[in-house]
Amino acid sequence: MIEFKDFVFYALSFVLVASGLSVITSRNPVTAALSLVLAFFNAAGIWLLLQAEFLAIVLVLVYVGAVMVLFLFVVMMLDINLDKLREGFWDYLPMAGFIGLLMMVEMVLVFKTKEFNLSPVDDSLKSISNTEVIGNTLYSTYVLPFELASVVLLIAIVSAIALTLRDRKDSKKINSSDQINIKRQDRVRLVAMKSEEKYVKSKTKDRK
Amino acid sequence: MEALMTFIFGSWGSDIAKTLWILLKIIAVVLPLMLSVAYLTYFERKVIGYMQVRIGPNRVGYHGLLQPIADALKLLFKEIILPTASNKILFFLAPVLAIAPAFAAWAVIPFDLNLVIADIDASLLYIIAMTSIAVYGVIIAGWASNSKYAFLGSLRSAAQIVSYEIAMGFTLVGVLMCANSLNLGKIVIGQVGGFWHWYVWPLFPLFIIYFISAVAETNRAPFDVAEGESEIVAGFHVEYSGMAFAIFFLAEYANMILVSMLAALMFLGGWLSPIPFIPDSFLWLLIKVAFLLFCFLWFRATFPRYRYDQIMRLGWKIFIPITILWIVFIGGMMQTSWGYLFH
Amino acid sequence: MIGLSHYLILAAILFTISVVGIFLNRKNIIILLMSIELMLLAVNINFIAFSYYLNDIAGQIFVFFILTIAAAESAIGLAIIVLIFRNTRSINVDDLNRLSG
Repeated sequence: MIEFKDFVFYALSFVLVASGLSVITSRNPVTAALSLVLAFFNAAGIWLLLQAEFLAIVLVLVYVGAVMVLFLFVVMMLDINLDKLREGFWDYLPMAGFIGLLMMVEMVLVFKTKEFNLSPVDDSLKSISNTEVIGNTLYSTYVLPFELASVVLLIAIVSAIALTLRDRKDSKKINSSDQINIKRQDRVRLVAMKSEEKYVKSKTKDRK
Repeated sequence: MEALMTFIFGSWGSDIAKTLWILLKIIAVVLPLMLSVAYLTYFERKVIGYMQVRIGPNRVGYHGLLQPIADALKLLFKEIILPTASNKILFFLAPVLAIAPAFAAWAVIPFDLNLVIADIDASLLYIIAMTSIAVYGVIIAGWASNSKYAFLGSLRSAAQIVSYEIAMGFTLVGVLMCANSLNLGKIVIGQVGGFWHWYVWPLFPLFIIYFISAVAETNRAPFDVAEGESEIVAGFHVEYSGMAFAIFFLAEYANMILVSMLAALMFLGGWLSPIPFIPDSFLWLLIKVAFLLFCFLWFRATFPRYRYDQIMRLGWKIFIPITILWIVFIGGMMQTSWGYLFH
Repeated sequence: MIGLSHYLILAAILFTISVVGIFLNRKNIIILLMSIELMLLAVNINFIAFSYYLNDIAGQIFVFFILTIAAAESAIGLAIIVLIFRNTRSINVDDLNRLSG
């Protein structure tokens, strides 16, 4: 008799593996990207089973909310010739299948040993909030790696912009800051001058 | 009930009973929410009507009170047209993806002390994660419709949502610095003791930025370039009709209620009463949310639509720098002897 | 009862799938990037499973860093793909032979 939690684990991992297969075999890159989103969701569910709630939510936030949106943007904007990319798709399957099977069998043989057959501990993590534990550790023991990670992110921001930014010669873009900062004095000039009486008179005559 | 379930399902009984109980709670939240979404549309038409010296809907029922129900029935019986060469599965998946996160986020919203479906530690983070998923409905709708107007609208809207999410996330960082917690219930409890203890005062710039970003995030006027009737007909849902369109419509209003609810909880003290000797109650939360929703409608009736590059400039060049500066300022002030002002 | 080995085997299956994916999609650079993301996900599942069963938070900290670096990596990777597409009008790996003299 399996428990309810085990049932949840099997359901999540079944969808996870299925969506993983869909990522690598789907014809359309958009479908592949959406399958990857599904895979991330199920992985987040599995992490929740492992009581890593902070990371599960961060996985959804960072990967599903940001990285995969970027992927989808790029995939949708590029006009890709799919047929050419699919040429000889299954050619390497025998070799890939062989290597994959080999890896699989080796890993399963290792993981089936009794050293890896741990049962869950009644841990102290349960009592304190997971977010707090991670925060405390991150800002004390791992503060230097944490700062380094932020520098890496900064480099990623700068380089991604520097790589893709280009000034098109034919672009007719306008600077909205300049437009908003325009004052009345820049555009309108009020001039005091006399009305030209002759002209006014002749006009009124014509009317009559 | 648990005993009965145990009798029927054996060892799974208590788990299934728990699941059913949670399902009941979800229905108790979602049904009133759906109803308030429907009546928000009526409220909007009435309010904007009066602002423009019109009467608004007044035919169906007393003062037009049955108008939302009539609209829903009309949309239910209309045909859903599937564009040729569109991706059928994704076309029908998109509205579901648009509305699901708007409802899922309500799982962690506290309505009163301990009156919440799931009291998790990182509930604020959960809400940011759920609102960041909402963009998928828009992107997929635009792409699956196989129409250039829909696609342009979806790209516009997705870029806008993603950019304003950053500013919004930073304002929430300010709140959690003040409250020392990611739990929404604890954030509200941190504001106990009269309206001068609410986080809106120490975080005033962040509150303003949060609310404007919320308007942009929900694609409402004056930031509604994603729909832009006069430019790209109706944006990402131009190919949708009948109930599929209605679901996008509902998702927009559900998101409006959600962001107003969050603003009320994080900045305006949630269910706490403004003056200490008046008892706290759920009604206070309703009043605050209703006022913020009224502001949404007020904006729509007042401001002309922003141009797209102006929206992007506002988000990236003004809001993000101000929020970062204010977070640094709060962090610095907390280390001084005035730190108590920020807790 | 679900033990540590269940999670490890799940991660192993996912890792194998992504390795096979790299073989199959050797021409499509975007799906190659996606396979790498899937691979990192498998690794992260391992880390979190170990963190839970050994009651050590360091595993989760490591996952945090992997997530950061992987996000940076995919951002730069996609920027490079956009640049390649602008110059060659293709994302086929076979067309990326301009440096071969």
